[in-house]
Amino acid sequence: MADDIRALSAQLAQDPQSLVFLRLGEALRRKGQLEAALRVAMNGLERHPHLADAHDLYARILTDKHNYERAFDEWDMAVRIAPHHTGALKGLAFLYFKVGDIEQAEAHLAAAKRVAPDDPSIDQAIAMMRKGVGPPSPTPSPAPEPATTAASSTAAVSSSGFDEARVFAGLEGANEGLLLVDGAGRVLGGALRDASGADVTDSVAAYLAGVSQEAARTAKLLGLGAWNGLSAEGQHGNVHLAHPTPEALLLVVRERGMPLGRLAILAQRATIMAQRWLERQ
Amino acid sequence: MSKALDMITRVRGVRGAMLVSAEDGLVVAEQLMEGIKGGAVAALAASLAGRLRRAMDAAGTGTSVFWHLQAEQGALLVVPGGEAAGSLLVVSVTEPDVNIGLVRLELLRVAETAV
Amino acid sequence: MSPHTRAVENWTLQPLTDFVREASARLVLVLTPSGQVLAQSGFSRAVDVMSAAALASAIVAATSELARQLRQPPFAALSHQGPHTGFFLATFVADRGTLAVLAVYDLDVSSLGLVQLFYEQLAADLKAASPKGAVPKQVLAADFERELTDSLNTLFGR
Repeated sequence: MADDIRALSAQLAQDPQSLVFLRLGEALRRKGQLEAALRVAMNGLERHPHLADAHDLYARILTDKHNYERAFDEWDMAVRIAPHHTGALKGLAFLYFKVGDIEQAEAHLAAAKRVAPDDPSIDQAIAMMRKGVGPPSPTPSPAPEPATTAASSTAAVSSSGFDEARVFAGLEGANEGLLLVDGAGRVLGGALRDASGADVTDSVAAYLAGVSQEAARTAKLLGLGAWNGLSAEGQHGNVHLAHPTPEALLLVVRERGMPLGRLAILAQRATIMAQRWLERQ
Repeated sequence: MSKALDMITRVRGVRGAMLVSAEDGLVVAEQLMEGIKGGAVAALAASLAGRLRRAMDAAGTGTSVFWHLQAEQGALLVVPGGEAAGSLLVVSVTEPDVNIGLVRLELLRVAETAV
Repeated sequence: MSPHTRAVENWTLQPLTDFVREASARLVLVLTPSGQVLAQSGFSRAVDVMSAAALASAIVAATSELARQLRQPPFAALSHQGPHTGFFLATFVADRGTLAVLAVYDLDVSSLGLVQLFYEQLAADLKAASPKGAVPKQVLAADFERELTDSLNTLFGR
């Protein structure tokens, strides 16, 4: 394996435009050298931004790093570029399963099966999911999550609906940068921490109701109709406020580096999860 | 001042641009299409800016450098001018499908140069 | 309705309640230029209403006279802002006669802009609700004490 990596690195150095980065990135990933794999994948993506395989590779590495939210974006992008990309379809199925959306997981596996009916790994994934175990991660992680975790999560979903801690399960930073509150500023799910790691959930929740009321009033009185989102760039972080239902508010906080557009997409995804969770309550 | 606001209003989809006193919520300068009430925009934008500032302070994200209220039939985009600018806000009211990135750049430019 | 908002003349109650909520004003008086209070919000003591009404009435009289001497129309509104609190005083003409509104607001929850914005709505609502064809009642000196006591009793729910 080390020899492979050395040889592939040499090839890539000789021809940086070649697609050998795909094999090198995958070899590094399998060896557990995730940072190196990430650099190779990112360099490859810079040179081949419209290559679905490059997004797929990047997503697999991100999944190994438990960065599911960005992995979702990458697989999503891969499917937009190549709608029949089985690797990306399987990856999306895996992530949907992780957040408890069995319907979407099955739909993506079925789509993958239509493209590659002879691929045994798809049948295996479908069978595992029906048993409640969940499809195997498309990335055999260096430290894989035990299958029982997925199984117990599924049991929790089917027996008592999503529990509070799982409102945003699967989204990056679910326990420190996402907050769902009701109209009176009471926390429904998620948590927020500031840069020093201090829990600021309750104090932020208390201010959000006022922000939301003012946003609604402003939009109404200025003739802009109903408001559907408020994004803000701060000196140390960016935030996006949305309302999944008329009574609930969702705040997403991320580091300054995350562009507002991307933050809005993340918030949109979290909004859908929050809506589902609220419907089940 | 009016020239500076021109930079914002010349962007397609922008219905008005203003400089607003953040503390008072009063209009300092404005260039608005007909039908937009400058006083209301100033008062409400300043009030929302204040509430948002408190929430962001609590969240530890620091003072906001740009914010954007999206609504069904339009948007409000704001760049706070900062302490040096005597707490002015550069505000624009836009159509819903405006190029947000471009308006943001113009607002930041006005905040840097004119304020 | 806010428990702290009360009116001597009931038609003023809803517009005032809306104004207090929208402008986040801490204290509000609706009064005539002579100092007769029609409605109040936020005051907890009768003596405060009395002094605020007397002072507001005096300011309206003084600024009206100043405008007259300058051959200007009466001032529409005046405001004063301290480090934490601001006040706003304005007059308008309704069927009930000229009315004045005194609003006191805290700068951490409101602003002059917000108070001005919703004052415009308050004035429009009061004009619309004002009894049509009403002749402003002259308060005679003999009746003043009783009128004042009655008003204060109503304003503080006694």
